[in-house]
Amino acid sequence: MTFTDFGASHAARRRPSFGLKARPGTAFPGGVSTQNTTWAQTAAWQPLGAGGSDDNTVLYEDSSERLYRYVNVGEDEYSGHVLEETHIFPSPVTRHRSTKSFSSLRQGVDGLRALGRRLSVTIRRKSSKHCLHVCQGESYQDDSTTTRHHGGRGNWEGRSKNSYSINRRPSLHSVSALQNFYASTCRTAPPIPGNGSEPPVFPDDLTRGAAARAAAAAQNEMAKAERAGPRVDSKLLDLVITRDSESGIDIDIRDRSEISDSEFAILRIDPVECFPTEIVAQILSYLDPESLLRTGTVSRSWHREASSHHVWRTVFRREYGAHFQGGMSTKRKTQSTGLGKTLPNQDWKRMFFVRRALEHRWKTGRAAAIYLHGHRDSVYCVQFDENKIITGSRDRTIRVWDAHYPWPCLKVIGAPTGDTPDATTNMATNHPAQSSGRSPFLTICPPSKPTTSIVPEQTSDYHKASILCLQFDEEIMVTGSSDFTCIVWDIKNDYRPIRRLVGHQAGVLDICFDDKYIVSCSKDTTICVWDRYSGELLKKLFGHRGPVNAVQLRGDLLVSASGDGVAKLWNIISGLCVKEFPSKDRGLACVEFSEDARTILAGGNDQVIYQFDTNTGELVKELNGHSSLVRSLHLDDLNNRVISGSYDMSVKVFNAKTGELSINLPGWTTSWMLSAKSDYRRIIATSQDSRAVIMDFGFGLDGIELLEE
Amino acid sequence: MAVAQVQDQLTLTSSDGVDITVDRDIADRSLLIKNMLSDLGDPGEPIPIPNVNESVLKKVIEWCTHHRSDAPSTGEEDDNRRKTTDIDEWDQKFMQVDQEMLFEIILAANFLDIKALLDVGCKTVANMIKGKSPDEIRKTFNIQNDFTPEEEDQIRRENEWAEEYESPP
Repeated sequence: MTFTDFGASHAARRRPSFGLKARPGTAFPGGVSTQNTTWAQTAAWQPLGAGGSDDNTVLYEDSSERLYRYVNVGEDEYSGHVLEETHIFPSPVTRHRSTKSFSSLRQGVDGLRALGRRLSVTIRRKSSKHCLHVCQGESYQDDSTTTRHHGGRGNWEGRSKNSYSINRRPSLHSVSALQNFYASTCRTAPPIPGNGSEPPVFPDDLTRGAAARAAAAAQNEMAKAERAGPRVDSKLLDLVITRDSESGIDIDIRDRSEISDSEFAILRIDPVECFPTEIVAQILSYLDPESLLRTGTVSRSWHREASSHHVWRTVFRREYGAHFQGGMSTKRKTQSTGLGKTLPNQDWKRMFFVRRALEHRWKTGRAAAIYLHGHRDSVYCVQFDENKIITGSRDRTIRVWDAHYPWPCLKVIGAPTGDTPDATTNMATNHPAQSSGRSPFLTICPPSKPTTSIVPEQTSDYHKASILCLQFDEEIMVTGSSDFTCIVWDIKNDYRPIRRLVGHQAGVLDICFDDKYIVSCSKDTTICVWDRYSGELLKKLFGHRGPVNAVQLRGDLLVSASGDGVAKLWNIISGLCVKEFPSKDRGLACVEFSEDARTILAGGNDQVIYQFDTNTGELVKELNGHSSLVRSLHLDDLNNRVISGSYDMSVKVFNAKTGELSINLPGWTTSWMLSAKSDYRRIIATSQDSRAVIMDFGFGLDGIELLEE
Repeated sequence: MAVAQVQDQLTLTSSDGVDITVDRDIADRSLLIKNMLSDLGDPGEPIPIPNVNESVLKKVIEWCTHHRSDAPSTGEEDDNRRKTTDIDEWDQKFMQVDQEMLFEIILAANFLDIKALLDVGCKTVANMIKGKSPDEIRKTFNIQNDFTPEEEDQIRRENEWAEEYESPP
């Protein structure tokens, strides 16, 4: 889950700084007896699908170790991007300029005048181009420009008396110059532009409506004829059509010689010709990508405007990053969004094409498989960002991998071992051809480095048992282990251990953290809340009657899922359970909290994924598809995907809105899927067969690197 | 100019020489005017608005009057304003004018630096483009297609699915 961090910062802001010291008297009600029940419940929960063949030890392991989950953290960069964007976008710059230059002027009224003049020159430059282009009314235009410029100081009122008495609207020539004739002929309003895809609204006056339609139709026809037909003298053509449309509606009371060509544009004005670039850019930046693409085919000038990098950046980011602009600040989110870096002169339109091709691959389930070999036993947990992949395993080590070709293992963190681990011999890739699912279109098994070259870190501290869960952000990584403890690592300082969190009486099955708290849950049925910075145990939450397999944090709210078959919602400040979300039958193994904390997803031994409404507690829907225990869940709010990994050896992708199964990825590994996470381009899943597999939907896509952050 | 002025009122002179008196807080919706007044003080005489004629200025003042108590825009709004082309009902009605007036309002909002009005205007135009075919857009705005058939073809190809190619492993 990706957005914990938002909640955290939120919480931090809301919460006054009183301490959250646990008072033993209240916070630990009857610890011993609770635990006793606990163990019984644990045993009761054991029957985990796989049962039969495995001996007791394995079963025990199963409940203690295979149940975990964790949370990504926010990413600093995003807010930076947004800020920058605001500054770079052209329109504010212009506005700024006008205000600024203005304030430097000594005298208010004169200042406005001067500014007006300066501004009108800019616009006029555009408009006179327009006139050349459309109506050849140049001489008129020039004349009035002159009038305006030298209209005389303090004499603005008199300008209406200038030589063009028919000029009802002397300002904004770009528009009104085209209107002169029409305006004087017919004073009622032309059609009202439609909203969205609605047609324009024509005024009641039928005659005038007809005029509007006729003129527009004539204009369009002229355009067509000019393009399609043999090259007739365009002036001649204009004339013919002029006569047609005018006579047809019979409103022309003036001598033909007075009519300039400009009246063609009476009702319909080309915004690209009439507005300065920054306004056009603002208009276009409101469009969706497909509409924007279409505007690029309207005409040459539209093509030029619709290719603007600024416009495409806005449109591209809105299309694929809408959730972030909704005000959710995910400060330390590590999940990559695939929105690219902010560099000068980026080709955002190309990035849109790349992203669209990538989304198409997600739709069709087309991905390459890249296998990470190295762990010598089940890989329980994974988290990754654009640069690195971190996995934790039953072999008691944590491995850091390069997320780029050739995906080498960069680091092994764990006990110094004498025995040479023999990596990867049992890994003949095998994709049972299940007709219903998608197999990799390409499989890559990068050779793992000779194990001698990777010396496990001689860190002062490390886990003495399986690594069951991990989460990292920009600063720290927290791992939980079967050795009953958590370790906080300094991710910036070469993964040195900072401290160990001791407090659980059984394996730590899942952890999550935000800006303030680290939350761990354990097979001992409790949840511990720690201070992120001091490591102090702030609270212990009791209530579950089975091992707590997963936790998720959003602001003040914490959700947990337990082998007792109940997901609980807690208020982390009061330490009280506020709501319960029971499964229909058996234990829950994993839980996810939506970014907005409104939705809770939980999966487990019922082989379905439950979707609950946080507020009402209601079961909203069930996501079906798995044929065994649902072991891990990842909700990608941004891309509207739910990723699930199951003991049925498949990873499945669901549409987060509709709950429909969109991709089935069975048999990419040879054993249970223990963890699965995703970002914009890939899923990384880990398996009991000691491998992690990158399901890379962006593999080999031309330009995919443009999307990296 | 001997215009009697209540203290918190201003007189604006449109480009065609018409004086319009407005309340100060309404005029303050225009950052241009607001900044001028705060930098230089009340000039005590009508302020010429050289780019905006009477009918447009009246429309703009009508908008400012309706929105006189809106909170001033913040940076956050700036990020959000490109998010959606939703327009509130009153503004939608307000913007139901002919293209000429609509475009003049936009230009006036730009000149007078009334961000929110500029946004609404631009959204209105965007809504006229959204979902339309190129031909419909040409009709809406009276645009000539000046592409050669070859150019048109090329652009169409550019816009089609970027053909995936697989690099060798």
